[in-house]
Amino acid sequence: MAQKILLIEDDQQTATYIIKGLGEEGMIVDHALNGRDGLFHATDGGYDAIILDRMLPQMDGMAVLGALRAGGISTPVLMLSAMAAVDDRVAGLTAGSDDYLTKPFAFAELLARLKLMLRRGNTGAQPTTQLACGDLEMDLLSRKVKRGPRAIELQPREFRLLEYLLRHKEEVVTRTMLLEGVWDYHFDPGTNVIDVHVSRLRRKIDDGEGAPLIHTVRGAGYRLGTEA
Amino acid sequence: MFPARLRSSTARFFALVFVLQLISGTSLLLFVRHNIGDELERNSRTLVTALRDDLVADYHQEGSQGLRELIAARISGAGSRDAAVLLDDPVGNHLAGNIEDWPPPIPLNSGWQVVTLYRVGRAEPEEMGVIATKLPDNTHLLVGHVIEDDLRVRRQTGEAMIAALLLAVPLALLGAIVATRVITMSVERIAETARRVGMGDLSLRVPVEPGVKDAFADLADTINLMLGRIEALVTELRVVTDSLAHDLRSPLTRLSATIDRASRETDDEAALSALERVGSEAGTLLAMLSAALQISRTEAGIGRDRFVSTDLGQMIEDLAEVYGPLAEERGFTLASEGSARAVVHRELVGQALANLVDNAMKYAGPGGVIRLSVTEAAGALTLAVDDAGPGIPEDQRGEALRRFGRLDPARQPGGAGLGLALAAAVARLHDGELELGDNAPGLSVRLVLPTA
Repeated sequence: MAQKILLIEDDQQTATYIIKGLGEEGMIVDHALNGRDGLFHATDGGYDAIILDRMLPQMDGMAVLGALRAGGISTPVLMLSAMAAVDDRVAGLTAGSDDYLTKPFAFAELLARLKLMLRRGNTGAQPTTQLACGDLEMDLLSRKVKRGPRAIELQPREFRLLEYLLRHKEEVVTRTMLLEGVWDYHFDPGTNVIDVHVSRLRRKIDDGEGAPLIHTVRGAGYRLGTEA
Repeated sequence: MFPARLRSSTARFFALVFVLQLISGTSLLLFVRHNIGDELERNSRTLVTALRDDLVADYHQEGSQGLRELIAARISGAGSRDAAVLLDDPVGNHLAGNIEDWPPPIPLNSGWQVVTLYRVGRAEPEEMGVIATKLPDNTHLLVGHVIEDDLRVRRQTGEAMIAALLLAVPLALLGAIVATRVITMSVERIAETARRVGMGDLSLRVPVEPGVKDAFADLADTINLMLGRIEALVTELRVVTDSLAHDLRSPLTRLSATIDRASRETDDEAALSALERVGSEAGTLLAMLSAALQISRTEAGIGRDRFVSTDLGQMIEDLAEVYGPLAEERGFTLASEGSARAVVHRELVGQALANLVDNAMKYAGPGGVIRLSVTEAAGALTLAVDDAGPGIPEDQRGEALRRFGRLDPARQPGGAGLGLALAAAVARLHDGELELGDNAPGLSVRLVLPTA
């Protein structure tokens, strides 16, 4: 079944861009041009996720979010904002949005985060002790990693990075998502710090193997998976 | 005691006041002493002249015999303790008086002179002022007055004067110190304000006491006028750049979206790599704008409500961990040390430190150690990023702290030159300061945050 997304965004150009992109991914997008209409649609329910612009005419994004949460509607919300400051980011997250994305964003980033949110909404948090992808196995209790018969020694941070990738296997994860998910950093590191960490991990996982598991996705980030 | 800058002129002023005070004190004392001496001599002279006139008048009335009797009476009578008289006949024989012989250096008829003579019956010679008079019968009359007392008074005045001078030296010193302090403090107050304005607190003004109208108040007014003008200009500039940065975001956002869409709609390798390059340039531009805006927001004090207690030791350890692999790849060693907990803006301090580490890797040249450290001293907490690169010469450090102020654009094409400016803004948000120091060799960038 196609997933239904509500987009509340006053900028027509951005909206078109998002609607087109999500449509190509097979999602159904409803579009509201202001906060009041958006809230009206959202309370109607039936949406799998809401993309909410922070700066809106009539009723601002934070107010919409507040009204939604106060009304007991727990549809995951991805907040969009032109305000790049870390303060706004943190404010948005603490106000009850599930994720926060700063304009301008790459569509791949929006998509990756949206998919992550949708999946989280579906499955809920299941306690796992074993993660695997192809012949790569991770035991969360003994903190051991094996690829086939080969045991792999990982630094604690490499372990967490691989764990994050494994939990999102076959999905695109962006550099920002890694920075936030693995290091809990909410700012721009300025350089390709993440790339270096991933390439180190990649050497340990994929070197000497027939099929690589860690793939670079152009213009977006990384994907852990068995398909090339 | 005084800042080095003022030292030489302060010392000159100090010396001038000191010397002037000593000169005026000494001349005053010399004048007094001279006057006392004059007065004493005039007194003795008057006494001697009066006695001589007395005797001569007596001679004219009663002749030589009468004079001799009067002399005898005068030198033995009451009030004659200091009198000295000699009457000689024309060939120098003693006729009367309490002096034995005519003193050779005295002419037979002369004015006031000071000589040392024995009086009859005295064991010691005495200083006396004498007048010699030739009487009509060719006898010579020498009338004198012992001035030993005068001399003693003079000697005592001299001694008192030296004592007074000895007292005047410390007094002059004290005077010079006080005068210098008063001047220096007035200058210092102005200099301190100017210095702190130079450090970036543009709202400061030189304190002016109402109602006081002197050269310093005038100077303070003039400087305050100038500071007001500077602040207005800087504010205006900031508003212009901020709104420019803000307005530029919208077209850039659309540019990024267009690039993004284009790259999803083509499979042409050449087009894709060109789009990627354009995209990365747009990204750089956006990052610069975001950083510039972040600095402005931070400068404006936005974010003070978001301070949380943070383990700074853990923070720098994490930073070293995040940047470690990249640093290694570029030939650096990244080390972290120290632990402290403080209430700070976690994200901004992290961002500032990350920028500093990033800067160090850009400018230090490979091969060195980059050391992250946190130390806690009395009332202040220091987060430092030290490298072993070429450092920044002292005279260029102010420039380095300015937004977009890159010292050597030719050397490093990347980077927006906002790292230090942001770190400085973050320091100010915490009422602290960003200090650039010498790591000998290398640069030591220190975020000094007050903890009190």
